[in-house]
Amino acid sequence: MHPGAWVAWSAGASVVALSTTNPFYLLILFGASWAVQAAWGGRSRGVRSFRFFAGAGLAAMALRTGLVVFGPVNGGSIVMALLEGLRVAVLLAIYGAFNSVSDSSALLRLAPRRLQEVALAASLGLTLAPRFADTAVQVAEAQRMRGLGGGRLARLPALCVPVLESGMEQALVLAESMDARGHGRGPRSRYRPQRFGAWSWTTSALSALGAGAFVAAATAGTGDLLVAAAPLLWPQATGPLVAGALLFSAPALWPPSASRFERRSEEFS
Amino acid sequence: MTLGPIKSAQEEPAAGERAPTPPSAIRIDGLSFSYPGAGRLALREVSLEIPDGVFALVAGPTGSGKSTLIRTMNGLVPHFSGGSFSGRVLVSGRDTLHTRPRYLADVAGFVPQDPGAAFVVDLVEDELAYGMENLGIEPLVMRRRLEEVSDLLALESLRRRSVRDLSGGERQRVAIAAALAAGPRILLLDEPTSQLDPQAAEDVCAVLQRLVHDLGLTVVVAEHRLERVASFADLVVGCVGEGEVVQGPPADVVEVLDLGPPVARLGARLSWRPLPLSVREARRYVQTSPEPPAAVSRPPGEARASVTKLEAGYDREDVLTDVSLELHAGVVAALMGRNGAGKTTLLRCLSGLKKPSAGRVLVDGAPPVPGRSVALCPQAPDSVLFRDRVEDEISVTLAAAGLRDGPGPHLERLGITALASRHPRDLSAGERLLVALASIAASGAGVLLLDEPTRGLDLEAKHRLVNLLRIYSDEGRAVLLATHDVELVAQVAERVIMLASKEVIADGSPEVVLGDSVVFAPQMTRVLGPGWLTVEQAAAALA
Repeated sequence: MHPGAWVAWSAGASVVALSTTNPFYLLILFGASWAVQAAWGGRSRGVRSFRFFAGAGLAAMALRTGLVVFGPVNGGSIVMALLEGLRVAVLLAIYGAFNSVSDSSALLRLAPRRLQEVALAASLGLTLAPRFADTAVQVAEAQRMRGLGGGRLARLPALCVPVLESGMEQALVLAESMDARGHGRGPRSRYRPQRFGAWSWTTSALSALGAGAFVAAATAGTGDLLVAAAPLLWPQATGPLVAGALLFSAPALWPPSASRFERRSEEFS
Repeated sequence: MTLGPIKSAQEEPAAGERAPTPPSAIRIDGLSFSYPGAGRLALREVSLEIPDGVFALVAGPTGSGKSTLIRTMNGLVPHFSGGSFSGRVLVSGRDTLHTRPRYLADVAGFVPQDPGAAFVVDLVEDELAYGMENLGIEPLVMRRRLEEVSDLLALESLRRRSVRDLSGGERQRVAIAAALAAGPRILLLDEPTSQLDPQAAEDVCAVLQRLVHDLGLTVVVAEHRLERVASFADLVVGCVGEGEVVQGPPADVVEVLDLGPPVARLGARLSWRPLPLSVREARRYVQTSPEPPAAVSRPPGEARASVTKLEAGYDREDVLTDVSLELHAGVVAALMGRNGAGKTTLLRCLSGLKKPSAGRVLVDGAPPVPGRSVALCPQAPDSVLFRDRVEDEISVTLAAAGLRDGPGPHLERLGITALASRHPRDLSAGERLLVALASIAASGAGVLLLDEPTRGLDLEAKHRLVNLLRIYSDEGRAVLLATHDVELVAQVAERVIMLASKEVIADGSPEVVLGDSVVFAPQMTRVLGPGWLTVEQAAAALA
């Protein structure tokens, strides 16, 4: 599919996630991200990227809840923190899925020429973000070899410092490489440009429909989108919105015409 | 082959001024350069000329300015680095000071040191096309060139793969092909063989030479490991320290540099003139065939690690089948094999990072415990280090292992006390590796594993690594070192384990295993026959 279709998908899904704290809708979106990633993701890269961002999302959720627990505690605030954390986790899962199914640089190469400098900065960010997953794994393994394990906060510098430092370094290497290879010179040509085909249109349309349903519900104030803290009530899910959220798992049903990535081999050999 | 530049692609909008008749591919006049904030000059009053259609080698120890010099040749220095720049660099007649790197992309292709970090897109095929797209080359021409470079560098089977899933050698080939596809007349490569096994490195050098001979390209290679590249070079630019540069015929410059390939170092000791740079040249000086030195065989210590009928792989694809071996206390063993032979997989199984799909790994009679019974020093030492001072790095590991002794005695035993209060980021690549290894080994693990530690290390740094490994093995640890560097293996290893086709195909003393190999024989073996490993041995016998 065209990278633009994946942008439509992830933008639509993000709109839905941002519009609600209702756990039913959020969990459906999480499931949709997983399904899309499983159907379309490159076997090695996709799984790693999705797992990393989904994991980071769950960690963010735990952190968000944990911060509240240390504050003035009441049932409502913990539940709210949990749901907001879930929202962040779902957003990260959507981003992880987007990363694993589409080549973000392919998208940025479509950027108009006037925006080349902006596109350069953006593509550095987008290209490096998934690489963080690889670096983080490497660093965690290296620290395990020193007997520094566990998830304690005191161990955080051991993970963060090398990941950030190598991230900075990689950004510089990549920027150099892009410039040395003529990025931003002027009119470019395209090797095998991708068509915005039927499946791309369908995906974009369904994503717009799903997001539209939630925006309409939010404007009308219906559908139990936001869970109220007081009184704390079990939220309801309405049929049309459940259907709207389910639309985002639809791309998992289309056939990836040819797997973009062949089998991974000798990756660590 | 029609890899030459295409007319339409040559007309770029903001080229620097052109010299009337470009006399040489690269001309540098009175160039001095220092990085921002650096006190000393990285390059001092450099003047040199690289004629069209030669294979030029930029040689020198780590930190002598090789990378800086090669980066001036496509404008990355000073446009990306900043810093103070005086003098002039002309590339195909264009002044780099007034031409951004992107406007030199059509004349000078660049392959950076770590191609994996420099890939822009995800699919190999798109990566090959990326530079051509930037130059606005017609789709049909792109298709044709893509076919040609894939043939030239044997990439046919990789084209639909993700660049992130390639092995080191494959990445290097893709990066060269991508640079080549854009059709430049000059190809700049920063340490192109550092991640390659001997055969792959040989192949890359042969391809580069073919580009020079058949297509008239100018190839500039920065390297400090000269054993493979030196004999291909038409011209050597030596970075001799303090930012100074000398230029001349290979044999002359290599002699000044004193870090030549083993044959050159042997020749220097025995006053052979002209200095041999290849095995073939060295053989001419050897008339006698002395008896090889008696192999020193010590009885190995007790087994500290054992691998029994190991099978391992990824995604149901086997990388290793039926591997059995033991690692002994007090022995430095080398693990060798082509890129992708399964060296890293074996190390990961031994270190407990990876669960084998069948078979058993035991360290001191129990499953391996990373950071306790076994420790693996990773390929990138930077992923280990995170403190502000070297001694703190050691302390962190000692504390985690519950050991009471401070970092002082530790550093002293290893002979790196001088580094104690330095910041790890300020160290050279070689010193960083020593510190990373020391801070991993401080856990007291009885089995030490190293994965390709010699990337970017010059002779001096390797020498210090060898010392460190000897100290650890004398402490009764078992050391296993995965590497492509046959000359390092010849110096340090008492045992060589060779992997191929998912199995151990040879396991024995380096005299036997390397002496018997077409690909992995060190230069002294090639000159004098099996049984000879180091320059020291050969020099003593031939003197």
